[in-house]
Amino acid sequence: MTNSMNNVDYISNLVESNFKLIEKEIVNKNQVSYIIDKESVHSLLTFLKTNGWIQLSYLSAIDWPKENKFELVYIVFNWEMPVYIQVRAMLDRNNPVMPSILPIFPGCKYYERETHEFFGIKFPGNPDHEKQLILEEWDEIPPLRKDFDPRAYSDKKFAKREYTEDFVNLNGQESKQIIRKQRKTKIMNVRKGGKK
Amino acid sequence: MITGILFGIGVAFFGFVLQTSIAGVNRKVVARVQKRYGPKWYQEFLDIFKLLSKRSVTHGWVFDFGVIMALGGIIGTAMFMPITQNLIAFPEYDNFFIFVYLIAVGMLGMAMSASGSGNPLASIGVMRALTTMLAYEVPFMIVVLTIIKLTGTSSLSEIAAFQQLAGNNWFFIALPLGGIVGLMSLMGMVGKKPFETHIAPAEIASGPMVEYGGKQLGMLFIMHEITVFIEVSLFVHLFLGGADNIIFFVIKYFAVYTTINIISSVYGRFKIDQVVLFFYKWPITMAIVQAFIAIYLGWVI
Amino acid sequence: MLSTKFTKMTKEEVDRKWWEIGDFFRRNSLWMLMYCTGCCAIELPPAMTSAYDMERLGMGPMATPRQADVLLVTGYLSLKTLRRLIYTYEQMSEPKYVVGFGSCTINGGIYHDSHAVINQLDQYVPVDVYVAGCMPNTEAVMNGFVDLMDLIKSKKANGWKDYHKRYEWYLENQKAALGEVRVHDEFHE
Repeated sequence: MTNSMNNVDYISNLVESNFKLIEKEIVNKNQVSYIIDKESVHSLLTFLKTNGWIQLSYLSAIDWPKENKFELVYIVFNWEMPVYIQVRAMLDRNNPVMPSILPIFPGCKYYERETHEFFGIKFPGNPDHEKQLILEEWDEIPPLRKDFDPRAYSDKKFAKREYTEDFVNLNGQESKQIIRKQRKTKIMNVRKGGKK
Repeated sequence: MITGILFGIGVAFFGFVLQTSIAGVNRKVVARVQKRYGPKWYQEFLDIFKLLSKRSVTHGWVFDFGVIMALGGIIGTAMFMPITQNLIAFPEYDNFFIFVYLIAVGMLGMAMSASGSGNPLASIGVMRALTTMLAYEVPFMIVVLTIIKLTGTSSLSEIAAFQQLAGNNWFFIALPLGGIVGLMSLMGMVGKKPFETHIAPAEIASGPMVEYGGKQLGMLFIMHEITVFIEVSLFVHLFLGGADNIIFFVIKYFAVYTTINIISSVYGRFKIDQVVLFFYKWPITMAIVQAFIAIYLGWVI
Repeated sequence: MLSTKFTKMTKEEVDRKWWEIGDFFRRNSLWMLMYCTGCCAIELPPAMTSAYDMERLGMGPMATPRQADVLLVTGYLSLKTLRRLIYTYEQMSEPKYVVGFGSCTINGGIYHDSHAVINQLDQYVPVDVYVAGCMPNTEAVMNGFVDLMDLIKSKKANGWKDYHKRYEWYLENQKAALGEVRVHDEFHE
């Protein structure tokens, strides 16, 4: 199949005739996105793997605090037919659990560990998913959740350098900051109708 | 006997000073090849004394003892090296094979100490050094045995005297193929660029020297300088007719070392299998052809 | 006739003399360990090659921490990198010096509010010279090295002594940022 739009049509027909999709989107001629039930992710990924989408390119999550959901994204790729397929599934944010896809794609092992580390999603079925990978000795809520405040964490955890307000004038010149401030007050005075 | 030993230590010290100065000058030469200004000519001395002035850690007594054994073995080897026809510490004992065997003591000490550090990169470096040794020794030995067959002696000063008596007919000119093989083997011995697989700073983090710091590294640097002195002097005596004057010796030494340095400054680094394949392909063929020509056909210029 | 008065030097004076001689060698032959954590590392190739030629000051790159004298921290340090930096720093043989590059090592730079990047390097390891800028010019980098040499000459580059003296304080800061300094997991066995 040389025409890549045909590829997208082909995969759309293939998936839509077999699965009930919640939402579908054709991102561009090389990328398709499906939102599907949490329960049918495994069967869809198995189906795609038997049809040639043999490589798990990425696995990560998106935090939607307003809807109280996590969106899990699996990206798979086919080397014969250049189409990326994003398989998305919504999880409950309060109890984020998703069975591991380790039997289908063994390469998901470290992706799932990373996702657990950064979002706190549990992957039962992956024996290592709770071990630390990138963040060593982390002691807060997972850092890529939207309710995590990195600035507050940084202020609390790391020493900040404190600067004093005074500065040195070179050659006895008047400070440019003071000149700028005076000019600004003058302009504001004029604008308010005060005297110059 | 005592004077002989003192004289021998003096020879080793002379070799250290000479090689360190010439190595410093050669760092400037390489810098000019690369369009840089280069360090001071005595930079190598500064480096060595700086290393000796630092504090260092140890990794067990094998690690420390190996360093001392390496330095002592190499100084012991350098004591036998003739500088000119008359400047020899032990006149009867400047046989070529003495150097071949004694230099192994220093190398073994270094290998032992590097293995004693327990770092896997050091073991890789030692293995690579031994493999490189296996590669360059065979062609070099064939050429040297040819020379010994032609001169009928294996004493370095007598080989040098033979070349001078024969009307300054250096073996580098008389046996041109063998001379080139000797030069290539010398680059392998000294560990210059295409054959520095056992050092390889970007690849195995300077190989056997990976765990050394401070005083031990300083002693290894001194050992390395004296080793280079022995190897380059061997080449000068075997192929360039030695010297009857210390000034000529220094000039010949400088010429040889600068030549291999300039050649090495434009090369990248071989892989270890490429080193072995290279030495077992061209130099060994050239050495055998040279031996055949020189011994059976008698075509010595 | 010469009349020289020999006053016997005390042990401290002899030690100081030897130390000054050592300092002459140390400042003229600084070997660097480049811990290239961030973008400031791109200033080092022009400083080393023919444009500025660091080797004329006697400086050169080294392969392992044991051989090196100066640790160059070029850029931001995440928590994971900081842990490895502390391992590396403690492996170096003394006397040892640290040069911090760029605003990231001074006050966090553009990463000042990140959850993973530390803000002040000198809370965790002693720093002798900072080279400010984002990124610093190559001239500034060379100037920083010359400053380090002057500091060694005037006996002010004492970060490594400070690390011995106030080790508890440094360890406390390291633990506050990292939790445990020596981490035990499957990648460290």
